[in-house]
Amino acid sequence: MFKLEFLKLRKKTRSWLGPILVFWLIMLAYPLTVEFLRDKLEIGFFSVLWIAILISMMLATEGIFSEDYNDGSLEQTLIKNPSFSIIIVTKIFTHWLLIGLPISILSFVFSLGTTEDLSLSLSILPLAIISSYIFLNLFVLGNALSLNKGSVLGALVTMPLALPVLIVLGKGLIAIQLDINYQSFIFLLLGSLSIIIVAIPIVVSYVIKAHLE
Amino acid sequence: MIKKFIHQFASPKTYLYQVSRFYKYIFYFSLIIYIISIIWGLFFTPEDFVQGNSYRIIYLHVPASFLSQTLYLAMAISSITYLIWRVKLAAYLIIAIAPIGAMTTFIALISGSIWGIPTWGTWWQWDARITSTLILFIMYLGLISLHNSFSNHEKADKLLSWLVIVGAVNIPIIKKSVDWWSTLHQSASITLTDKPSIDPVMLYPLIGSIVGFFGLVICLVLLSSKYQILHREKNKSWVKDYV
Amino acid sequence: MNKNPLIVAQNIGYKINENKLFHNISFDIKHGEALHIKGRNGSGKSTLIRIILGITEPVKGTLENKSTKEICYLGHKNALKTYLTLDDNINLMQLTNCDMLKSYLDKLELNKYRDVTVSNLSFGQQKKLALLRVFLNNSDLIILDEPFVGLDDGAHTVLTSFLNNELDKNKSLVFTSHIPCNINSKILEIPK
Repeated sequence: MFKLEFLKLRKKTRSWLGPILVFWLIMLAYPLTVEFLRDKLEIGFFSVLWIAILISMMLATEGIFSEDYNDGSLEQTLIKNPSFSIIIVTKIFTHWLLIGLPISILSFVFSLGTTEDLSLSLSILPLAIISSYIFLNLFVLGNALSLNKGSVLGALVTMPLALPVLIVLGKGLIAIQLDINYQSFIFLLLGSLSIIIVAIPIVVSYVIKAHLE
Repeated sequence: MIKKFIHQFASPKTYLYQVSRFYKYIFYFSLIIYIISIIWGLFFTPEDFVQGNSYRIIYLHVPASFLSQTLYLAMAISSITYLIWRVKLAAYLIIAIAPIGAMTTFIALISGSIWGIPTWGTWWQWDARITSTLILFIMYLGLISLHNSFSNHEKADKLLSWLVIVGAVNIPIIKKSVDWWSTLHQSASITLTDKPSIDPVMLYPLIGSIVGFFGLVICLVLLSSKYQILHREKNKSWVKDYV
Repeated sequence: MNKNPLIVAQNIGYKINENKLFHNISFDIKHGEALHIKGRNGSGKSTLIRIILGITEPVKGTLENKSTKEICYLGHKNALKTYLTLDDNINLMQLTNCDMLKSYLDKLELNKYRDVTVSNLSFGQQKKLALLRVFLNNSDLIILDEPFVGLDDGAHTVLTSFLNNELDKNKSLVFTSHIPCNINSKILEIPK
């Protein structure tokens, strides 16, 4: 099942390469827009980084269900598999693997390039990995809710859910820089991720069933 | 048992007739209370030592902020009721409450901004409570636009209920996370937003205004749910009799 | 021969936004029986099929499905990925019963397109590819919504004889079709 989902996403280059390129572009554009800050690039860097992750994850979920919905595959899956939420978990994981993970690694690279601080960048990596997975889950929910109504509505609907994560990320970063209880933020994010990873697919499966009805 | 009970007492028809019976009393009662508390609060309480007269906006601001969250809670309860017991009335209530929740949240935000100008010197501050209220406002807007985008009412109801429930989980999280966040930016305004140990002279009209405002908003919810029922069940024969 | 009904529907009704689509429809399907659902456009044939599939819940009435295996279904939508090749699509169908794959690819004249992206196939060819789900099914209940649309005479014959053959094997069939076909079936007329 995982292999098939992977195959589907991999062959659709636009869907996975697009968000990564958008992320890349935002991160490249950042230093251009603040040239006069040359020595103090770090000041706004991480805000841009978190927002870039958020945006690219939003783009990553763009067609996650609508394609299967429009060509009738969702109905076939629903008939075949009583455990619909497992399929959704697989789908989300596949998307994260092909989009979220590369973006997290890119975050590390860009962070290293900007701050030239290896330990700081290494602490950014887990934050990026976890937060990209959380964002992906949240936007999947939004996308499922606004299935066949366009992803803008879904993004609007789930944005309030993503804002607290951004706030925690901002705080976590300060914790890294001041070197205080950084781990508690990782645990906090991991905790929310572990809830989200279970709850979102279940809710999404109900939402999609409501759509197919 | 519970299911039967709910279905009997929550039929849109019974609800509508009960609402028509009690609506007037609730409306006049809360209107009188609100007017009395406002007049009391505006003219018969002393000026605040620090803030002067500007604090008097609390008689609008505090009830509105209080209701913005209470209404969301009401929506969440309706959503659970709808998803578990398939009570239609609960679905009508959710979408009836949403615009009113958005309205009270908007009032809370605007009155807060107006209050902020003389006291904080700025109309906007990225502080814990303001930010969480703003997020709540966006959530209300999202809920309304989600519901409006589906022509199949039942589908819209189900999706809306799920979103309301997920969003309800988010409310305490929002509150918590923004609280942590703003404590780091040691902002002086925090002490202002925390309820000061308010003098009884100001407290009684405040409580009165909350009760009155609450009653008035309930009246609005009743009206809007009445409209929803009539709109959604317009083909039923009893609705034609009612109208 | 097992003559217990596979599906029993009692007084099924459905409505969208308080507009009644149909009501009080009752029928049963036994093993080895075919049911042809007829009705005008918009009378709710597809909705009824979705109710039988268990995707949609009827507003009124009950539907019992005693089938133990997964239902084999093909609707208006082909459930094909147009950006993948024919072979990849067959993989995605997760067919359990692949012995006959080669012979059906030959019969449907699809064999030479196995490495072609599906978007480059014609409408009829795509339909034939989608029908592989039906030909290689592993089910006791086949549900088809307008299966004959877009098929040429050859494929039409292949499908009809296949379905008749399945009925002889004691499988059940539910279908809708505006195109006349030679399948011995009960008829359910949805009144408007």
